[in-house]
Amino acid sequence: MLSFTIRRLTYSILVIFGVVTVVFFIMNLLPDPARMMQGQRADLATQTAIRHELGLDLPAWQRYVRFLGNVAQGDLGRSFTSNRPVLQSIWDRFGATATLAISAMLIASVLGVGIGVLSAIRSYSLFDNAAMLFALIGISIPAFVMGLLAMLVFGSWLDWLPVSGYMWEGGELHLEYLVLPMLVLALRPVSIIARVTRSSMLEVMSSDYVRTAKAKGAPWKSIVYRHALRNALNPVVTTVSAWLAGLLVGTYFIEYIFNWPGIGLQAVDAITRSDFPIIQGTVIFSAVIFVVVNFIVDVVYARLDPRVKLS
Amino acid sequence: MATTTNSNNGTDVIVQATLPEQELQDELVARASVPPRLTKEEAERRKQENAGLITEQPHSLWYYSWRRLKRNKLAMIGLAITVILIFIALFAGLLAPFDPNMQVLEYSTKEIGFQGNVLITKSEVDPNQTIPIPIGEYRIQGDRVIYTTEEGRDKSIPLSRLAGSSEKEWHKTPTYYLGTDRYGRDVLSRLMYGARISLTVAFFAELCSLVIGVLIGSLAGYYRGWVDDGFMWFTNVVWSIPSLLLIIAISIALGLGLWQTIIAIGITEWVDMARIVRGQFFSLRETEYVEATKALGLSNMRTIFRHILPNSLGPIIVIATAGFANAIIYEASLSFLGLGVQPPTATWGQMIHDGYGFIAAGSNWGLTLFPALAIMIAVFAFNLFGDGLRDAFDPKLKR
Repeated sequence: MLSFTIRRLTYSILVIFGVVTVVFFIMNLLPDPARMMQGQRADLATQTAIRHELGLDLPAWQRYVRFLGNVAQGDLGRSFTSNRPVLQSIWDRFGATATLAISAMLIASVLGVGIGVLSAIRSYSLFDNAAMLFALIGISIPAFVMGLLAMLVFGSWLDWLPVSGYMWEGGELHLEYLVLPMLVLALRPVSIIARVTRSSMLEVMSSDYVRTAKAKGAPWKSIVYRHALRNALNPVVTTVSAWLAGLLVGTYFIEYIFNWPGIGLQAVDAITRSDFPIIQGTVIFSAVIFVVVNFIVDVVYARLDPRVKLS
Repeated sequence: MATTTNSNNGTDVIVQATLPEQELQDELVARASVPPRLTKEEAERRKQENAGLITEQPHSLWYYSWRRLKRNKLAMIGLAITVILIFIALFAGLLAPFDPNMQVLEYSTKEIGFQGNVLITKSEVDPNQTIPIPIGEYRIQGDRVIYTTEEGRDKSIPLSRLAGSSEKEWHKTPTYYLGTDRYGRDVLSRLMYGARISLTVAFFAELCSLVIGVLIGSLAGYYRGWVDDGFMWFTNVVWSIPSLLLIIAISIALGLGLWQTIIAIGITEWVDMARIVRGQFFSLRETEYVEATKALGLSNMRTIFRHILPNSLGPIIVIATAGFANAIIYEASLSFLGLGVQPPTATWGQMIHDGYGFIAAGSNWGLTLFPALAIMIAVFAFNLFGDGLRDAFDPKLKR
């Protein structure tokens, strides 16, 4: 177990190292930041000064080593627009994103697994067909489209829920601000989890040990929940964790559309303002969160299911 | 179901178990009267009967897959919508009622089904170009046309400045079936031209990621060892970076535009393909025919591209279809942020962005809803078709 953990940890660090390298490479291709910061009134002397300050006048490999060193120490540079440390700005916004992501994934997991199990034990019934059709529709709607439609219907036409803003306002909690973005965000994962659960359940339900359980006359409920579902959950857990990791690193459009002050909204703002350090920092931060979540899931998984360790 | 005469005991037990009791009894009674061995004539007759079946040639994977696909109604609906979309994209120039970029500022944000009333005039700068002038009513007086403007003022214009010679040619009452946008452009025409951008980007981006994914996946899966480790590490690196941010960063680095969008999406979205192809190669490498290529002394490249790859085409096509749908979403997302193909070229994402400001005001919802529907329908059709393909290529894995 320990050697497995160490192996995974080393690999995770290698992956993060790769991400930082890729980010450095792409950022090198971007338009010269010294000119971007100056905008229209660029004069050569200031530009040279800025270049020197950012270390842009050094050869590429020296910049790369410097960049690696800075990232390793948690220094992701400063924002062009606010001049605050990037990591600090991202960390301040991370709570809002995490709230949204975790609440959406809670709903998505419960609903998705429920629908998937029901669909599987009544496969090819009316319920199953309808559920799977809706799941396919759910997969087909891009997040920002769904967000806008929800805004249009529930905010504009029905006027049930607020469409823009954060739930903490003046130290008070307004949960109604969470409802729409959370539901919109949950739609795609619900659809995918339902599909994964269903196909995994169908596979397990036709396995020998479930047939044995049926043959020995085990009660239906116990067959479904104790024998089938527990074994069918493997791919489901993988899907849920991948989605959680994916949502934790920002839900750009939902945050943008609903004006939810998380790291996604910050990144989109940074893009429109060409604030490259924020974009670069968000990419690295996201990759680290993504890798860390996957690492934790892998280790927990290996502990719960010894089969994983072997493969 | 087994006939009474054809008794193969092993399988019949299961068949019987599904029969209702009355039928079961009938079956048993009938079976008791069957002779234990077939007569010569009967055996001969059956041989002939089956001869037809046996001589039928086996068909390729494609034949059976297509046959299964044809039976899947939803997949066929998906295919039909896809074909229609491709048709619209190809012939947008003929189908669209308006030039998608023609602005008639007087007709800004008109409602669905609005009927315009315009005089078509020749441009003073370039006589080949025409400019529509919105009018209230008009009459011909000598060699001039007197018309009232939208605001109700009378104006006149010489006949020679009008485009075309007959009244029908220079006076038009076009219908804006889906209304107009802020600049008085026809929403329907823009949607049709938008399909062109969406499908072009998705097609070439998917082609790009197909090539990268297949190459990386097949090399990693075939050579294993450190080649596999290296490629999979790189795959995991790309996988760990949020796709959208990576696409955005690459397209900003390349400068915004059509081919930049294609490349940005293409070099980001190959991860799934690489993984699937690698998995296929892992298992196919162990098969006997691959062993045979080794015995025959074929080169590695020949084994990979002529023997293993064609046998993995099913999963590759399935992943490519899903990738195509995703590429449409990414293209729309990019142009929604203004980072895709640049205006005035009509794209669905851009149209939504232009329209969604009106939602808060509670007006002109069509400007958001129609392009949103277009994206949803396109992606849904591809996913339907893709699901059908998966079932057709691998009937074991229904859904």
